[in-house]
Amino acid sequence: MKIALTGNPNSGKTTMFNAITGKIEHVGNWAGVTIEKKEGDIKKNLNKTGIEITAVDLPGAYSMSPFTSEESITRDFVKNENPDVIINIVDATNLSRSLFFTTQLMELGIPVVVALNKSDLNEKKKTAINVKALSKALGCPVIKTISTKVSDNGLEALISKAVEVKGKSQTAPYDSKRIDFANAKAVEASDKKRYEFVNSIVSNVEDRKVSSNHQTKQDAADRILAHKWFGIPIFAAVMWAVFSISQTHLGPLLADTFAGWIDGLYAWTEGMLGEGVSPILSSLLLDGIIGGVGAVVGFLPLIMVLFFLLALLEDCGYMARVAVVMDRFFKRVGLSGKSIIPMVIGTGCAIPGIMATRTIKNERQRRTTAMLTPFMPCGAKLPVIALFAGTFFDDAAWVGTTMYFMGIAIIILGALIVVRITGEKNARSFFIMELPEYRFPSIKRATISMLSRGKAFIIKAGTIILLCNAAVQVMQTFNWQFQVVAEGAESTSILASIASPFAILLIPLGFGVWQLAAAAITGFIAKENVVGTLAVVYSITNFIDTEELALVSGGADVASVMGLTSVAALAYLMFNLFTPPCFAAIGAMNAEMEDRKWLWGGISFQFGMGYVVAFLTYQIGTLITTGSLGTGFITGFIAVAVMVGYVVHLVIKGNNKAQQKLKMSA
Amino acid sequence: MASILVSEVMTGTYEFEDSGGDSVKNLSEAKVDVEYTIREIETNDNELKSFLFTLGCYEGETVTVISVLAENYVISVKDARYSIDWELAKAIIV
Repeated sequence: MKIALTGNPNSGKTTMFNAITGKIEHVGNWAGVTIEKKEGDIKKNLNKTGIEITAVDLPGAYSMSPFTSEESITRDFVKNENPDVIINIVDATNLSRSLFFTTQLMELGIPVVVALNKSDLNEKKKTAINVKALSKALGCPVIKTISTKVSDNGLEALISKAVEVKGKSQTAPYDSKRIDFANAKAVEASDKKRYEFVNSIVSNVEDRKVSSNHQTKQDAADRILAHKWFGIPIFAAVMWAVFSISQTHLGPLLADTFAGWIDGLYAWTEGMLGEGVSPILSSLLLDGIIGGVGAVVGFLPLIMVLFFLLALLEDCGYMARVAVVMDRFFKRVGLSGKSIIPMVIGTGCAIPGIMATRTIKNERQRRTTAMLTPFMPCGAKLPVIALFAGTFFDDAAWVGTTMYFMGIAIIILGALIVVRITGEKNARSFFIMELPEYRFPSIKRATISMLSRGKAFIIKAGTIILLCNAAVQVMQTFNWQFQVVAEGAESTSILASIASPFAILLIPLGFGVWQLAAAAITGFIAKENVVGTLAVVYSITNFIDTEELALVSGGADVASVMGLTSVAALAYLMFNLFTPPCFAAIGAMNAEMEDRKWLWGGISFQFGMGYVVAFLTYQIGTLITTGSLGTGFITGFIAVAVMVGYVVHLVIKGNNKAQQKLKMSA
Repeated sequence: MASILVSEVMTGTYEFEDSGGDSVKNLSEAKVDVEYTIREIETNDNELKSFLFTLGCYEGETVTVISVLAENYVISVKDARYSIDWELAKAIIV
């Protein structure tokens, strides 16, 4: 038996889905978090029937007429796949809007059970709903639920009611079947009547003490958090606090304990292997696998603290306000405030971020957002940031914060260039976004989100990253004749000979050595590889020291092994963050852009951006710190000038196109 | 590149038209905390119009501006809060 969960955006469908199936899908206190349908079996303790029941979580929709692609997923599913029962999740604080969709669902001929969710919020607002009267008026069962609660949440009653109504017929309280759907006027008139009908139900069943259009403390909070001038500094301060806790204070403390275990594993394996094992095998196992993977996994505590804090931010409702603050800037550059949502999701992983661009209706805005979202530092890039912040900048929180705001700045600049190239700067778009109520973030939900992301991180480290590190270790150990590379002749290894040609290109950026080039290349498979490969090629067993309570043991030592100045290190960090993302994310870009030209344009743009940013950072930084320009300035400058020149050429072409369009429309 | 940026910011600044007396024509001129009845949604974008309809934002319904933040308006429609931009506020005729 199949149950579909439907309802308005941010009515709590995924929270309920997680509660009844025990799954851990991503939730957030804002509209539009779920963009694809998800299936799961209902937990045994809620399902007393013994029959297997599958629940399908659908993206939020305001009505059966789809306006966004995720709304059409919902409509197509309930219309074509014939679920046995529809659970319609209704936000109890907003009956008058939600029931519009409910009455449409009831016309489909599939039994509907209404879950009156968030009923706890109504009690706080002193709004009472007469459940019996509502059920009678709609002609379907209505169950009060609070899916954020662990017990006494109404979910068991809801599931047993859903089982009970299966196969039974219900009469739609409002029927539009006789209307000619080809006639837009008739449909409009019918929908207006539907709203009138809903309003009459609401006025009968709802007893509202405080009218919702009065100013509340929440509105006062909005005026501060989304303020014209304070909005951005507040966002910066929040992000700085997140990094300060996760990278400077709590994160390293936990990481130290954790690194102790990895060191222990290293010593234990070394002891187990004993003297008799071939040195090649032992170095593959110890330096390649435990060393490389350990270096990446060592940063797990920092990342989990960061994910925990980001989950708290998403849960409290602040992110929707950030979208409002950013809308002003994004609109200037031809994006919409909605573009911020993929970017915020992209701080966890660029792939779901890119997939979230589906919520953007305008094709150019959607493609531009998909192309720019990977500039937000994702979870996989955090070990790289943490490594460089620890090695060269003494664990400073400003490094991570700056990388986020650099990402945003690059996105804005990128959008500006793209809108000029496409010649659509005169296109108009509207912005509308529901502002969810603020709430105290749930420690439990944040913990669950943190654990599931941590688990995904460990799985990745144990598979892709382990394989890559083993391969890097082998390629570094042997030369092309499959002989072990002699000490002092490391540059004859397979790895060195592959990476060296690329290293030459990187000389103007301040890090033209094959080891760093190799690490950047493996980064395209997965960004964590940058850390793993650096650990392998410089044979640093562990970046995190247990004795000193410092994140990176002898930061100065590691820095000297790499032979980089702080400025070059910052340039290298930025190069890794702002070049194209990993292959998986490029695949997601391909899927969402649905256009080869956009895909290759996007990848070239990302390469160019990484190169230019690293070049400017290294050369200007070196000029400031030493008084003279860095190595390879002239060649690098020519390369950058060619890239910028080409972009300017495209922009001019785009401007001409825009003018022609204006003339045509005039 | 800098000059492009500046010019974009300049052209992006909206010029508020003179409302011509005290009568409020659309939501961008509306007073905060006053309940208005929507007379019309003035746009060629039918999809937008239908979308607003599903939110309960259509002629005959009431709307209240809760706050004005830079170029965004926080409005109360039915029992929810939305943030809309200046252009959309201008399209809602009250």
